[in-house]
Amino acid sequence: MIHLGENTRSTIISKGISAGFAHNTYRGLVRIGPNAEGARNYTRCDSLLIGDKCGAHTFPVIESANETAIIEHEATTSKISDDQIFYCLQRGLSVQDAVNLIVNGFCKEIIQELPLEFAVEAKKLLEVSLEGSVG
Amino acid sequence: MESRQTRYPILEIRQLHAEVEGKTILHGINLTVYPGEVHAIMGPNGSGKSTLAGVLVGHPAYRVLKGEVIFCGRNLLELKPEERAREGLFLAFQYPVELPGVSTMSFLRAALNQIRHHRGLDELDPTEFISLLREKAAKLDLDENILKRSVNEGFSGGERKRNEILQMAVLEPKLAILDEPDSGLDIDALKLVASNLASLRRPDSAQLIITHYQRLLSYIEPDYVHVLVDGRIVISGDKSLAHELEQKGYGWVTGTPSI
Repeated sequence: MIHLGENTRSTIISKGISAGFAHNTYRGLVRIGPNAEGARNYTRCDSLLIGDKCGAHTFPVIESANETAIIEHEATTSKISDDQIFYCLQRGLSVQDAVNLIVNGFCKEIIQELPLEFAVEAKKLLEVSLEGSVG
Repeated sequence: MESRQTRYPILEIRQLHAEVEGKTILHGINLTVYPGEVHAIMGPNGSGKSTLAGVLVGHPAYRVLKGEVIFCGRNLLELKPEERAREGLFLAFQYPVELPGVSTMSFLRAALNQIRHHRGLDELDPTEFISLLREKAAKLDLDENILKRSVNEGFSGGERKRNEILQMAVLEPKLAILDEPDSGLDIDALKLVASNLASLRRPDSAQLIITHYQRLLSYIEPDYVHVLVDGRIVISGDKSLAHELEQKGYGWVTGTPSI
């Protein structure tokens, strides 16, 4: 994200899901140019882990050449817990249903910004690629 | 309960022994629950009340050593947790977990449709489901806002307990087990939970309420009260037993003086 003009604003939201032995890495550059008075950036990296052999990493890079800029970075990591899965099972859902619900909940913020056709495809893609990841 | 002998029980537990992490907690539980009944299970801390609930719903932390459990004519212990739920067994958890980003509405619709599918009923579409959910929430005097929020996320203790009861109302189980539905509630929330539970009493289903204190039972009026001590039911009676326990303490049934 490169800020050149005055009072420019930007938001970066990254959602990463790791299952099995996967490692997910976020690398992001936020650069504020010398003329970007009052520039504003907010960055958030959320990671969801499925299983105990995967990982998530975040490497944010911030280069600011203007001291009036405000730049924020937040990162969270959460894990689908056995208790969450069991809670869903006790309501009659399968393990796969439970994972899909929790993953969709995690991605909702992003998916709801997509046009409807893409959103439907994205949800299906998530379900297919996570099949058998817990069990 | 004069017609008790002429009907089939919902739940029959015979000589149930179970352990958690290699330690035997249940030492031979016997309990029979018929349709329409409300049973209360009381007992001191560590007596095995929550273990019993966990074993019945098939929580992986517990292992059955001996005994059998028949639920509506089926061998319950052979079924997977989700199959038990679909057969009509429901647990209101003592500590319901949060499911961030998963709205109560979509969670409950997915659950209800699985159960309906299992029973050979058509799935409900979102519009039908929302009107059902609104109706149930209104009957329990529950704020509709709870339905749009993520399951249990940022809920107060009382909201969590009442959300469990809403789920029970929507899923209409044959047997609902309530694990300390009164813990952590103030007196007003307690009365509300009790009246919600009373309103869900039905002639074709049963409730098994696990509680530490008599307070909840004075509003609920159970048909039977059982006292669990060291993994065994040591005494059973009607609701007057709960009052007697309140006065005399658990020492009265365990044989040790209460402090």
